[in-house]
This record gives sequence, structure tokens and C-alpha cells, in this order.
Amino acid sequence: MSDLTLEDLIEEFQEVDDKMERLEMVFELSEEVNFLDVEHWNDSTRVRGCQSEAHVIVTIEQEKIIFKAGADSKLVQGLMGILTIALRDITPTQALELTPEFASDMGVLNSLSPSRSNGFRNMFDKVMMEIEQKM
Amino acid sequence: MREQFPILQRKINGHDLVYLDNAATTQKPQVVIDAMNDYYTNSNANVHRAVHTLAGEATDGYEACRESLKKMYNSDKVIITSGTTEAINLVAHAWGKANLSAGDAVVLTEMEHHSDIVPWQMLAKEMNIELRYVPVQQDLTLDMEIFEASLDGAKLVCVVHISNVLGVCNPVDEIISLSKSKGAKVLLDAAQSAPHQYIDFKSLGADFMAFSAHKMCGPTGIGALLVTNDVFDEMQPFMGGGDMIETVSIHGSTFQSNEHKFEAGTPKIAEAIGWNAALKWMQEIDFKSEHKRLLEIARWLSEQLRSMGMTVYGRHDDNDAAVVSFLHPTMNSEDLAHLLDARGFAVRTGHHCAQPLLERLKISGTVRASFYFYNTREEAEAFVKQLSEILERFA
Repeated sequence: MSDLTLEDLIEEFQEVDDKMERLEMVFELSEEVNFLDVEHWNDSTRVRGCQSEAHVIVTIEQEKIIFKAGADSKLVQGLMGILTIALRDITPTQALELTPEFASDMGVLNSLSPSRSNGFRNMFDKVMMEIEQKM
Repeated sequence: MREQFPILQRKINGHDLVYLDNAATTQKPQVVIDAMNDYYTNSNANVHRAVHTLAGEATDGYEACRESLKKMYNSDKVIITSGTTEAINLVAHAWGKANLSAGDAVVLTEMEHHSDIVPWQMLAKEMNIELRYVPVQQDLTLDMEIFEASLDGAKLVCVVHISNVLGVCNPVDEIISLSKSKGAKVLLDAAQSAPHQYIDFKSLGADFMAFSAHKMCGPTGIGALLVTNDVFDEMQPFMGGGDMIETVSIHGSTFQSNEHKFEAGTPKIAEAIGWNAALKWMQEIDFKSEHKRLLEIARWLSEQLRSMGMTVYGRHDDNDAAVVSFLHPTMNSEDLAHLLDARGFAVRTGHHCAQPLLERLKISGTVRASFYFYNTREEAEAFVKQLSEILERFA
């Protein structure tokens, strides 16, 4: 796990023009994910509207967000890695102030197909809803 | 030929476009773009009714497309639709509702595109019709023994000529002959075959044939349903409105007796004019030698992919289409397509609107490269090279 912050990420992505390189960076961010084992994937963890199998689960322990996720696509898992970094070291209340626009600012979403970028937004919404429910 | 397609000069992410998604839709030559542009610039008007010059030109342009289709596919009746999907839905509503009744059987195959499954499922639910699905075997062919057995008491057989996923060409002569011997009508989904071969509709002996313009260098939003004269008389109007009527009074309406009966409302005039330009353009193509050339590319690509550890879903027999569906053992197909797009290669991923077929193959999707007249062996070689680089870097 790196000590990257969301601000670092946005800066890094904005410096890269080549789409392949940007996708490679997303691939690498899949390593940041606290992986949700496949045996825990079920209907309640599924991110709807995502073409890949994508699953997330959120718990809150002592004001700390525990975000676990897994997907059958490395790119989707990389997007989960970005969300992992975005949620790192912030309180649930601070998390609810986030909007998915940070991914647009990074230029990540326009490197992806519309279905993938919608999938990211659906994942973001699901995670935020779970945080709100579990606060 | 490539210089006739302006889009092929485009750069994608700074790289030459290599367009290998032709089974989804084909690119348009300049003559098609010009024909549509000329119509809107000089002749735009509604068809059939008005007496002014523009209306005459628009009507002539629209009907010329129908005449070209009649000649090219040897059919007495050509109903212009929005595409293959609407053509099949038209059969379900205009023929199915008038000629099927509860308990009747319709035979489909597991190889069908969703557009040749869902309309029948909807009709089956509405009319209590039995649907029988012919399975696809391990060798990617239809189980003809089960097909023959399924014909018992069947009123209609709906079959795809060439699979959009596998490129497999089904034995339609045999299917039509067996169906006819049991008294069943046949609907041929020719969306993937009509763009690649001259089909003599009368000689083939099917009752309906559906296909789309956009898969043969024509515009989107237009297609055709070919119908035999006998079956045409068994069809009842589906959509009501302008252009399809003879007279209308408050007591009722009478309908046109020709194809207009099934073309309610203002039709696809610019699209018909564009399609006609595409049909004329295609007449310069030697379909047989092009088919051979593209099939050789598909066979070569399949071999290369297999040698790289991919599973290829296709057999590429002599009549099959140049469609190469494949999967990498570990790399997600959409990830692969995203990476290919980063270097200008356009391929399709997903279930290709053929989920029952993929379920039979026990997969959820494939990467599909499909070739058309403007594709070259050099593009296939560049594709393999790019794929190798991606796998080396990411797999």
C-alpha cells in the first residue's frame, strides 16, 4: 500500500497525456485495494450497472472507513484503488462531502468507455450510501 | 479503396485508426455521405403525396432504394424498416399475430441475436405460443437432429444465417428445405450475411429475410424485410398512420396493397437515398474474392491468437464470415479492448447481444475482431503486434 494522497494522484494523472500510460497507472492502482475475496461477493455487494463483476463492502470502525472491493477487471479494480485512496484517512462525515468529480479531474473517466465511467459513478454512489447508512 | 472512407484517415489517441468492429457497424464511403448531404441540400421533401418537384425527387430517391434491393436480392416485395430488429418485430406483429394461435410452435436457435429471440418471447407470452430452441453443439454448429425433431407441428422457423459472434454460417438450404417439407415458414436473419454475399431470395426459398443497411456501408436507422408474395398477403398492418392507408373515414380505413401498407408515417428518406448509394457502390465489389481474402485474414489471425494462448471461438469454414471472437486466459476482455483503443484499434467486447449462445459456450463475453472490404492483412498484422505488446506489458 502506498502513501499516495488523492491530490498526488490528481496531479500525477494530469501530467500524463498518453492514454495507454494513464490506463497503466489505473492498473497499478489495483494494488491499493483492500481486496474483498470472491467468496464474499454476493448480490448485496454487487455494483449495479457495471459491465464487469464489481463488488464493494463498507464498514465503519471507530470513525474509520474500512473499504473492501474486488472486480474481475483490473481496470475496475484500479478505479476501486482510486476510491480507496480517496477514502483513506478521512472521517465518514468528510467522505460524504466527496463528489465523483475528482475522477473527472484526473482525466481517468474520459480514458474509459461510457459504461465503465458510469460504473465508476455507480460504485461511488453505492459506497457513499453505505457510509451514510453505517454512520 | 480505403481513401474512399474519410473516417479511416482519422487518428485515435494519436494513432492510425484500425477499425475491426464491422460486425457491429461498417464505415461509410464518401459517396454515401455525399448522397445524403445532396438530398438534404437540394431535394429535401416528404415522399409520395405532394406534386411539387422536390417531393418527386424525394419519392424517386426513396423508391429507387427499394428497386435496387429488389434487383440485388431478387425479391418481389421489399418492406423498408428501421433495421433488422424492426423487420423481425414486423414479422412477429404483422404475420405472427394474424397466423399463429395458442399452442403453435416457433423454432429458434441458441445462436440467434437477441433481436431474433426477444420479439418471439414477447409474442409467446402474449399468445401462449411454444418456443423451441435448437442447441449449438461443441463444434459450434446447430444440432440438426434436434432441429428436425423440433419441426413437428412448427409454424415458423427463425434462424440466423451467419452468427455475429462466431461467424459460423448455418446450413440454411437444408434448414429451409426441411422446414418447408413440414409446412413451416422460415424467417432468415441475414444481418451478417447480406453485407457479404449476393443472396437470391427467391431461389433460397425463405419466406422472410431481414437485414440492415449500416452493416453494408449504408446509413444507420434503415433496413429491409424481404417477403414472398404469398406470405405478404398473409400479413396484416402493424403500425397505423399516414402513407399506409388508401382511404380514411370516421367509420374506418382501408390500406395500401403494396409495401407502403407496412411503412406508416414519413419514412427514412435520406437513409434510403444513402443506402441506395451504398448498394451501387457495392456493385463494384467482387464479393467472392473479397470473402476469400477476408476469410484468409481471419484464419491467419485465429492461428496467431491461438499461438499466443488465446481461445478462439470460431471455425472459419469456407462459408463462414471473417469474424474472430477470442478470449485471453487471464486478461479481462474489456480491459484488453480499452488498451487496444489506446493505440487506435477498435474491437467489440461483451455478449454481442447473443447471451443464450454465450451461456451455451459457458462464457460471459468475448473480444471480437470483425473485418470488412476496407480491412487489410497489414492491419491484422499490426493488431497481433499490438496485442503482443499489451500482453507483455499488462498480462
